[in-house]
Amino acid sequence: MTKMMTVLKAWEFLSENQLQTVSFRKRKESLAQDLVLLCEENGVSLNDAALLDIIYTQFHWHQRVWDVFQMAKEPGEDIDLSDMEQFKSSFKKILQRALKNVTVTFRDAEENAVWIRIAWGTQYRKRNQYKPAYVMYYSQTPYAFISFSQLRSNTPLLCQALTIASKHHQIVKMDLRSRYLDSLKAIVFKQYNQNFETHNSATPLQERRLGLDINMDSRIIHENRIEKDRVQRVTQDIFGDYSQPRLEFAQYKLEIKFKSDLNGGILAEREEPLRCLVKFSSPHLLEALKSLAPAGIADAPLSPLLTCIPSKGMNYFKIKHK
Amino acid sequence: MELEKALSQDESKGGVLAHLEKLETQVNRSRKKLEEPQGAQAVESSLGTKIRDKLRSEVKQRQARVAVRDTSVEPDQTLEISEQKAWERKRENVKAILQAYRFTGLSGKLTSRGVCVCIHTAFEGTLLDSYFVDLVIQKPLRIHHHSIPAFIPLEEISAKYLQTNIQHFLFSLCEYLNAYAGRKYQADQLQRDFAAFLAGPLQRNSLCNVLSFTYKVELRGQAFTFCARLLYKDLTVTLPTDVTVTHQGMDTLPTSWEEQRASHENLFCTKALHKVFASFTQREKLDMSLVH
Repeated sequence: MTKMMTVLKAWEFLSENQLQTVSFRKRKESLAQDLVLLCEENGVSLNDAALLDIIYTQFHWHQRVWDVFQMAKEPGEDIDLSDMEQFKSSFKKILQRALKNVTVTFRDAEENAVWIRIAWGTQYRKRNQYKPAYVMYYSQTPYAFISFSQLRSNTPLLCQALTIASKHHQIVKMDLRSRYLDSLKAIVFKQYNQNFETHNSATPLQERRLGLDINMDSRIIHENRIEKDRVQRVTQDIFGDYSQPRLEFAQYKLEIKFKSDLNGGILAEREEPLRCLVKFSSPHLLEALKSLAPAGIADAPLSPLLTCIPSKGMNYFKIKHK
Repeated sequence: MELEKALSQDESKGGVLAHLEKLETQVNRSRKKLEEPQGAQAVESSLGTKIRDKLRSEVKQRQARVAVRDTSVEPDQTLEISEQKAWERKRENVKAILQAYRFTGLSGKLTSRGVCVCIHTAFEGTLLDSYFVDLVIQKPLRIHHHSIPAFIPLEEISAKYLQTNIQHFLFSLCEYLNAYAGRKYQADQLQRDFAAFLAGPLQRNSLCNVLSFTYKVELRGQAFTFCARLLYKDLTVTLPTDVTVTHQGMDTLPTSWEEQRASHENLFCTKALHKVFASFTQREKLDMSLVH
C-alpha cells in the first residue's frame, strides 16, 4: 500500500490533501473508485494516465521481461549533436507518420535517461492502452531496453524509430533478456563493479584465509587444503570479488553431433546433428554458478560457456557443430 | 608502451614498486584539492617523461649501490650513514613523483591479470570524478572491466590505439574524460549557482555537448531575455565550438543591446560557462553601485 502511495506521490497529479482523504485499507474496488473520482475532479487526461502507467512501471520493472537492443553508427560519422528534446520529437514524429493511431508518452529519468510508453493501434482498431510497450534509453548510448506486452509485430517500427531518432544506422537485438533491468544495464554498460577501492583488494587470498583460521579450533584440520585454495583462487579470478548482476536463466540451443569415446554406437553414426535445449534457471544465476566450484559440485574452472555470460552480454546461446 | 614496461618489470625492481604503492596510498589519503591548475597536454606528457626518467634513474642508482656494496671489502660506516641520507632524499623525490602522477591524473595498480588504471578528472583546479579501466594483459590486450560512462566512445578509442600504443590510448581516454567532466562541471555550476539568471530549465544531453538555456540580463534598468545554444563539436574540448545567442521576444533589440548580444556570444566561446555568469553578476553589482 505504501508503494501505491509512493507511485501516486511521484505522479504529482493529485494534491496532498486529496491523497489524505483516501483510505488505503479499503477493498481494492472501492479504493479504485475513490481514486477515479478524485482524478476526474482534477480533469485527468489520457496523457496523465499514460504518465501514471510509466511511473508504475518505473517502480515495478521486475514485473516485465526486458530485451536489450544494440545500435551502431556508421564508422567515421559526425559527433552526435542532438539533445533529448530533439530525440523525443523525432521519435514521436516517426511513429505517428507510420501509424496514425499511436500514443507516445515520455518521462525523463536520472542520468539523461528517458522512459517511453507506446500504446499501439491500427487503422481499424483503437489503441490498446492495456498492452503498451516500454522503452528505456540513455541518450547518446547505443543501447535500448525494450519490454513488449503482446505480440511483437510492432518491433521493426519501434526499432526503426529508435535508430533514426538517436542518429544511428542499424539496430540489432542482443541475445540478452531478463526481468532485472538494473542488471541488464550493469552488464551492457560493463559497470557491475563501480568501486575501485574494493576491486582487487590489497590483501591476498592467504591473508584473508589466515584471518578465518585464527578463529577456528586448532584441532580441526582441512583436508585437501591445496585444492580448495586453488578452486577459490580460480573462482575469484573469473568472477571477481564483487556481487554479480542478477539473471534468472541461461539458455543453450545445441545442434551438435554426438561425440563418444567408445567406437561405434548408433548415435555416433548419426549424420544429422542432435538438437537439444539446455536451460539453467535460478533466482540469481551468476551467484549460483560462482558457488558451484567452491561447493564441490563442479570442477574449477567452469566451462567458458557459463562464465562468459556477463562479459559477452548474452544469456541465449546457439551452439553448432563446427 | 613505456607505462606498460615500467609496470611489468616489477620482478627486478621488487622493493621500489612496493614502496611506491605504499606511498601512493598515503597520497590518496591526503587533501583532495589540487594546488596548481591542471596543465596542458604538452606539460602532462613532458611530466610523464620526467617521471619515467626519474624512476629509471632511481632504479639504476639502487642497482649501482648494490653493486658497490657487493664489491667493497669492508663495510664503510660513514658510507652507510650518507647512504641513509641519500635514501631519505630519494624517498622525498619519489613522494613528489607520486604527487605529480596525481597531477597528470593517471594512477595504476597491478592486478593478477594485468593492470588497473585509474583516471582522475579535474577542471581548473577542482578534482572531479574518477574512472577506472581494468586491462588484461594477453594477446590481444583487452578491457575486462571499466567504469567509463557508455556515451564516451571507448570502443572507438580502443579500436584505434589499444593494441598498438597503450600510452596513446590512455592519454586519449584521459582527454575525452577530462573534457566531459569539465563540460559537466560547468553545466552543473550554472544550474547550481546561477539559477536566478535562468528563465527556464537548462537543457543538456549525456555528453554535455549540447547546452540550451534561456537567461535574462539586466543593465541600467532594462532587462532582456536571451536564448543561448552552445555546441561542442569536438568532444575533447571544454569550450564550445559554436555559440548562438538570440533575442527572445517580439520587439526588436536596440543597438546597444545588439552589441551586448554579440559580446555574449564571444564570451561563451572564450570563457567557462559559470565564469561568464559570474561576470554578469559582478557587472550587475557594479551597475547597482554606480546608480546609487
